[in-house]
Amino acid sequence: MDPVSAWLHEKNPGLQGSIEPDEDLIEARLIDSMDFLEFVDLLEEISGTTIDLQEVTIDDFRTLDRVRQRFLSGSGLASHAAQA
Amino acid sequence: MSTPGTTALPDGGLKNPGPGLITLDPVHTALLHGLDGLLTGLAARLGAPEVMGPPLLAADTLARLDYFRNFPHLGVSAGRFAPEAFDGLAAGEAPGELSLRPTGHLLPSATCYGLLMSLEGRDVGEDGLRLSATGRCFRNETHYDGLRRLWGFHMREVLYLGTREGSVEHLDGGASFVQELAGRLGLTLTRAVADDPFYDKGGSRARLMALDPVKHEFNAPDGTAIASVNRHRNFFGERLDIRAGSHGPVYSACVAFGLERWVHAMILAHGTPERALDVLRDARA
Repeated sequence: MDPVSAWLHEKNPGLQGSIEPDEDLIEARLIDSMDFLEFVDLLEEISGTTIDLQEVTIDDFRTLDRVRQRFLSGSGLASHAAQA
Repeated sequence: MSTPGTTALPDGGLKNPGPGLITLDPVHTALLHGLDGLLTGLAARLGAPEVMGPPLLAADTLARLDYFRNFPHLGVSAGRFAPEAFDGLAAGEAPGELSLRPTGHLLPSATCYGLLMSLEGRDVGEDGLRLSATGRCFRNETHYDGLRRLWGFHMREVLYLGTREGSVEHLDGGASFVQELAGRLGLTLTRAVADDPFYDKGGSRARLMALDPVKHEFNAPDGTAIASVNRHRNFFGERLDIRAGSHGPVYSACVAFGLERWVHAMILAHGTPERALDVLRDARA
């Protein structure tokens, strides 16, 4: 998760300390809407998979916990594939 | 003392001066003012004082609010004739052929921009702030369509600035008010996710908006959106440094009404402007 945290801190220079795993990144606009697709690109790069925005919901991006579970753990991807 | 006949409209009524430009006749005007009066009920219910926004908005501030990145096609710019054009104008040359200089200002495309700009750098306090205003708004459109799509129209907005929870309550209250008022006016409205005209539909903001809609509209049976509820999150609070005491940058939200579109919806529902006006009078009683 380090690259994700690093990206969030880079985009939010005023942000102090670590980001809570359950902090709402969207509502707090730690992911600004103009940077959203860049964030998706970052997750694709780290995970080595393609994210189809038709196949996800906003909640998949809302917290660090959910991002880890949904995109950055093999089981999350596998379980999603099984549902598709 | 009466002067019979002097207030009657000419045969054929009032002409529309051009595409997207309409002069409202007395009945339509009474409808618009009457509807606006009813819509101020939301402001009264929520304790939002009435203010009047500015007639022009600074382009550089709009740029800081990403306006041009999202809607470069909508902005109606205010220009003034260059001094070298004065002699030509005075001599009767066609104004459209003479050069304009930008003023650095645009006509408003929504009422809340001017209100938000007037709060830049302010602290609205722990309890937040509400403001209500009706403004004439302008948008360049690819086509114009009666009262449904105008170059210039009137928009009432009730704006909230404060906490995240407060902004949600504001929109919930606004949505309830819209449906309640529609019921009194005999209007059937359906709520739908808004399809705003982002310039770059595949762009980041448009894609996020599709995943997490921050705007919902209330549509008349013919699909005309006559009201909307809009969440801004803390975007304006951060970009304009508007704070809510210890809560930090404000979360803001607004409930917006397109007044000419309400007139359109009333006529659509009740058949004629006169019958719509009767329904409106009953609803106000």
